[in-house]
Amino acid sequence: MEHYSSHSPIGIAQRDDDAVATTIVRLENVFKIYGAGETEVQALADVSLTVEQGEYCAIMGASGSGKSTAMNIIGCLDRPTKGHYYLDGVDVANLNDTELAHIRNRKIGFVFQQFHLLPQSTALENVMLPMVYAGISTSERRDRATEALQRVGLGNRLNNQPNQLSGGQQQRVAIARAIVNQPVLLLADEPTGALDSKTTQEVLEIFGELNASGITIVMVTHEPDVARKTQRIVWFKDGQVIHSHLTPSDINRVATS
Amino acid sequence: MDILESVKMASKTLLANKLRSTLTMLGIIIGNASVIAMVGIGEGAQRFVSGQFESLGTNVLFIVPGNRDAQRTTVDLPRTLVLEDAEAIATQVPTVAAVAPQLHSRELVTYRNRNTYSLMVGTNPDFSIVRSFDTERGRFITDLDVKRNNQVVTLGVDLAERLFGNQDPIGQQIRIRNVSFLVIGVMEAKGSVLGTNYDDSAYIPITTMASRIIGKNSPYGVNLTFISVSAQNEASVDAAQFQITNLLRLRHKITREDDFSVESQKDVLEIAGTVTGALTIMLAAIAGISLLVGGIGVMNIMLVSVTERTQEIGLRKAIGATQDDVLIQFLIEAVILSAAGGLLGTALGVGGVLLIGAFTPFQAGVSPIAIALAVGVSGGIGIIFGVVPARRAAQLDPIVALRSA
Ligand SMILES: Nc1ncnc2c1ncn2[C@@H]1O[C@H](COP(=O)(O)OP(=O)(O)OP(=O)(O)O)[C@@H](O)[C@H]1O
Ligand SMILES: [Mg+2]
Repeated sequence: MEHYSSHSPIGIAQRDDDAVATTIVRLENVFKIYGAGETEVQALADVSLTVEQGEYCAIMGASGSGKSTAMNIIGCLDRPTKGHYYLDGVDVANLNDTELAHIRNRKIGFVFQQFHLLPQSTALENVMLPMVYAGISTSERRDRATEALQRVGLGNRLNNQPNQLSGGQQQRVAIARAIVNQPVLLLADEPTGALDSKTTQEVLEIFGELNASGITIVMVTHEPDVARKTQRIVWFKDGQVIHSHLTPSDINRVATS
Repeated sequence: MDILESVKMASKTLLANKLRSTLTMLGIIIGNASVIAMVGIGEGAQRFVSGQFESLGTNVLFIVPGNRDAQRTTVDLPRTLVLEDAEAIATQVPTVAAVAPQLHSRELVTYRNRNTYSLMVGTNPDFSIVRSFDTERGRFITDLDVKRNNQVVTLGVDLAERLFGNQDPIGQQIRIRNVSFLVIGVMEAKGSVLGTNYDDSAYIPITTMASRIIGKNSPYGVNLTFISVSAQNEASVDAAQFQITNLLRLRHKITREDDFSVESQKDVLEIAGTVTGALTIMLAAIAGISLLVGGIGVMNIMLVSVTERTQEIGLRKAIGATQDDVLIQFLIEAVILSAAGGLLGTALGVGGVLLIGAFTPFQAGVSPIAIALAVGVSGGIGIIFGVVPARRAAQLDPIVALRSA
């Protein structure tokens, strides 16, 4: 069970083999099919995609093109109908539900469009939650959660409940929660979808800093301005990847084609 | 994740919804309070009844006419127990210490302008011994009174008070069914035993009772209401019961069913015990049903809670909660609700039992077994009725759960 605990306890995604680029995400001919017969939907049709360690990558595409479906599989919330998925070298298809839960807990950080904070818990308690499931001691939880909140600029908001925070601040709490277990991969499905342009900038700044410190980020977005802040854009259409290595400057061309 | 962590998490959720948690617990609280109170009352009734029988006197046997097993309803049978039976028992059964034939009748008693209907007990001096029931003033009826059909009466203390007030009744004449009687004594207070108030009765010689009050006799002799007998000691009760039965069978020339029965205090206690025992079980069953209803209430609210917290469950799973983590979290919430409800209900029930004890003759008992059972059962109910909602929560698909905005 402990075969995935190779990451360093101190830094985030600092790895022994920094020199060699490591593949964090490897999707090989992945299909995701919902329903059967007449109502069958191919949400993903033969998707192959790799994301290397340290990349900051945006997924774009029309609504219904399979972006979220791909994110769910990458985030180990779902399994492919067909094909292989290796996360940090581990074949996820062979793991049971409990093992997947452990992977999500220690290797992946999620940021959602609707923040998904527990309304009755403070910012600190929300950030401590993943460590509860990791079996970390209370004092260490507190220290690490405080540190994570300071990192996203909320060191002075530890004991506020979500309804006492602005949307941008709430999303920053969610980001702190996503990074507190030092994951190898940060997944964000439309993290700025519910934010105005100013708070969007705040969140993107934090993502930029996190990526600069070595975290691998994959983010779904509909906004070209958001995508332009990343290094690489993956374009989905009808359940397939039609461009896997666009640069920010390519966006206008593709979006209008 | 360890259990302590889950307990903390569950308590936090429950405290955040105080009103709902309290209302959910209410069913369990009421269920437990009624279990404790009902069982307490049942036990109190049992104790009350056995106390009553014990106050009938020690080593006592009752010989009653007719057969308690075979109720023959076709004919109005003549009373089968006669005065001669009592005399025969007194002279021929060696293990018997005292024999009191009893002939009861409710009659109008008059003193000057006051009158009242009271129970007249025709008996002999042994009555006072068998029932360990003595006079307070004056004297009880004697053998001579019985032999001579004397028109003398010893009054129960309440009856004396009602007829005479503060005046001394001894030496006064009263009329019972218009027959004049001389008051020779007043009994000590005895209270009510099994519905008969011995303080509101009057005691006259059995012979006088038969000849002057009842007035009609069967050809076989004086019919009795029943005979009270005391055995020489506790060890001889069974022997006395056996010897009396044999003697009366001979005297009554019984070949088939007995036309009388000899009941020891133990027999009567056993009957009463089964009755009050059944009462206790019935009360406990009713209370148990309310506990069950409380459990269903817990399940209902937990199901609502799971539906409402779908997103929370999805989030917890996304950040690493396993199915077991979620299952345990919800189970513990249910168990805390019902166990806390159990404790509160028990406290309430104990309070109720103490109140009942303070205001009624039922000394209702607080049974530790009932308490342990009620709290244990409520905890169990939490688990049983919590499993369905908790499993539903644990098995939620996190993707679907997170999307359910
Ligand atoms: N649980 C499901 N059952 C059936 N069909 C589904 C399910 N989930 C997704 N789909 C279908 O799969 C396809 C891809 O959906 P997905 O949510 O991945 O799109 P998306 O690219 O994230 O769209 P959006 O930009 O609107 O979020 C859609 O046609 C959708 O209807
Ligand atoms: Mg989507």
